[in-house]
Amino acid sequence: MKQRTLWSATVVAGLVVLAGCGSASDPDSASGGSRGKLVVWDWKSGDATASSYVRKAKADFAERHPGVTVEFVAQPFDQYYTLLGAAIQAGKGPDVMLFNGGGQIRDRADSLLPLDEYVRADRKRLAGWEAFTKDGKTYAAPVTLQGHPIYYNKSLYRKAGLDPERPATSWDEFVADCRTITKATGARCFAQGNKEGIGIQFFLSGLGSGVLSPTEYDDWIAGRRDWSSPAVKRVFSLWKEADDKGLNNDGANSTAMFNDAFAVFQSGKAAHVIGLMSDTGHWKDFGEFLDAGDVGVMKAPVVTAGARPSLPYDGGIGYAVAKWTKDPKAAADLVRSLTSTDALKSFYADAGAVAADRTVDVSSGGPAVATIVSEIDRGKPALHVALSSRTVDLMGRLSQQLLSGSVTVDAAVRQLAASDQAG
Amino acid sequence: MSPVGSSVRAAQGARAGEAVDGRGPAPKSPRGRGGRLAERLAPYVLVAPAVLIIVVLRLWPLGLGVNFSFTGDCEHNGTPVGLDNYAELIDDPLFRTALRNVGLLVLLLPVAVAIPGLLATFIHLRVPGHPFFRSVYFFPAVLSPVIVGAIFNLLLAFDGPLNAVLGRSGAGPVDWLGDPDVAIFAVVGVHIWATSGMALVVFLAGFATLDPALLDAARVDGASLARMIWHVIIPGLSRTIQFVVVTTMIGMLTSMFGLLYVMTSGGPEGSTYLPEYYIWVQQGQMSRPALASAASTVLFLVMLVVGLLQVGLLRRAGRED
Repeated sequence: MKQRTLWSATVVAGLVVLAGCGSASDPDSASGGSRGKLVVWDWKSGDATASSYVRKAKADFAERHPGVTVEFVAQPFDQYYTLLGAAIQAGKGPDVMLFNGGGQIRDRADSLLPLDEYVRADRKRLAGWEAFTKDGKTYAAPVTLQGHPIYYNKSLYRKAGLDPERPATSWDEFVADCRTITKATGARCFAQGNKEGIGIQFFLSGLGSGVLSPTEYDDWIAGRRDWSSPAVKRVFSLWKEADDKGLNNDGANSTAMFNDAFAVFQSGKAAHVIGLMSDTGHWKDFGEFLDAGDVGVMKAPVVTAGARPSLPYDGGIGYAVAKWTKDPKAAADLVRSLTSTDALKSFYADAGAVAADRTVDVSSGGPAVATIVSEIDRGKPALHVALSSRTVDLMGRLSQQLLSGSVTVDAAVRQLAASDQAG
Repeated sequence: MSPVGSSVRAAQGARAGEAVDGRGPAPKSPRGRGGRLAERLAPYVLVAPAVLIIVVLRLWPLGLGVNFSFTGDCEHNGTPVGLDNYAELIDDPLFRTALRNVGLLVLLLPVAVAIPGLLATFIHLRVPGHPFFRSVYFFPAVLSPVIVGAIFNLLLAFDGPLNAVLGRSGAGPVDWLGDPDVAIFAVVGVHIWATSGMALVVFLAGFATLDPALLDAARVDGASLARMIWHVIIPGLSRTIQFVVVTTMIGMLTSMFGLLYVMTSGGPEGSTYLPEYYIWVQQGQMSRPALASAASTVLFLVMLVVGLLQVGLLRRAGRED
């Protein structure tokens, strides 16, 4: 019996270690493209909505490299970075892979091939490169743009007697409008979901450009972040204030952003939500529940004088090339095919994403997406995307503590500064 | 000398030889020698597949994982860093919370065992409708943790039905999954709800071995239910209880991941982290495989200690019988 229990303990720990150090690294079909074959990992190509995108990208690539076959391996998203981590650890895996912009790709840049010399011709046509850039080198080409516009429900504005085409431009007006809406319709100001600690990311990026001065904003993105500045502290005190004043729906810490908070907005129980531009929680989703014409997009209200609100957005997802690929030129060309205008047009139309290509026409998608796209040129990278995934994780927990009152703004900002400086 | 006599002598000689060298009859043919060799090797050959599977697929990776935990992540990838990862773990309040939660699970174990035990007692004592309750109690055991988690996400939501009932009865709403002091108990409660059906079945099987004459005698003597449980049922079921303690502990330490993932994602404020979840986050989300390996090694040691304690418990139970 002793032996058996020992074994079972060993087996359990063994399995955990297996998961931990990622020895699940050798899925046959997926590992290592040979010369003449490229393997692509992503979590999109299995979706029905992405099939015409993949088909067009493959056709475009086949014209340039007729002898090279391309195999797409769609991984489940919730395991994607675990599997990818295992492949990286083993030093072999797909030639081309999909990444989220920001921390996810920067943390793994060591294993990726800089693409600057290959994508020079696409620089102007595509937007959102910064999210895939580390230390001046570009590691992926953007497919979609991801950002955090503030959506509002025009019909609630109308019911409350407010002009839906003129949303508030300052924070005080905004709060006053919210009071009016809540009094007239019972709807709260913000649909807020912070169960996973995601709410604060959206809040920081969605409202940050109305709090930080343009210089401070640019410094933050460039990595010169002054966590003790009054404006940065103001973002976090605003976060707490919004909840204390009852602007959020109840139980923000136990409401999941995906998709409970969005459901609160879609069902008209809240007038505003800081959502996404692509994939989900965005104009297309909201337009299906509310009337597409009732979904408005507003700029961040100005909290501190001198702030200049802008649309926060980055490259959402993009394809990168692994360092270990045998034919870097062909792999980089595949990335270029995956970001060709024709392919991206399909991605926008079928998957409901704002494509990274500025030349794709979006006028058929409704007023919300048209407003978003018109702001792209003046937009800036989102504040939270500039942070490491470790700091973002910590910020999620601290934001929950802020709401429950178990940490002060000063203490939270101090911890974030320490984590940010540690890298 | 008759042929019979010589054959008897030959047989005696053979027996004498056997007595001298103690190895049985001398081998007469190469086939016999090979047979004996095969006989000696047979046990090793037979256990070889199992041993190989354990060594190659379990112990070897375990060793690799432990070894890997002494190397660095990111820019230090592959370089030995000594005990740095372990030092970082001890410094990490999140990991300390995870370990504290393991301790909390151990403390909650008596509750997790008592609930199915009590329910089984009622069923055994044939409360009205007991066949119905038996199947109802077992039903959650067939649901996957993800489904259970999703159901309770709805029930325990801030604007969910449970809070609506509480509100109607005058008590204020409780943020079941959003309050750091409550969430871990909510998740453990759901885990007990979901898994107690199996323990209940084991208890019922234990009751089948309980001598009904003892219960009848207690009843005749006018014992109350509480006294009957304390003096008759618990001593009579000691082995069953010990078995349920061991299996429930293992279940709590190893299969809460699904519930945590669906119900709280480790939150709020990191209050529902368990080591498994920590390992998963560090490896998959934070891209820190070596740190995750160190956490795995610590979890392994914790499980080893718990496992050995349980072995001791079971062995003592065996001796008592």
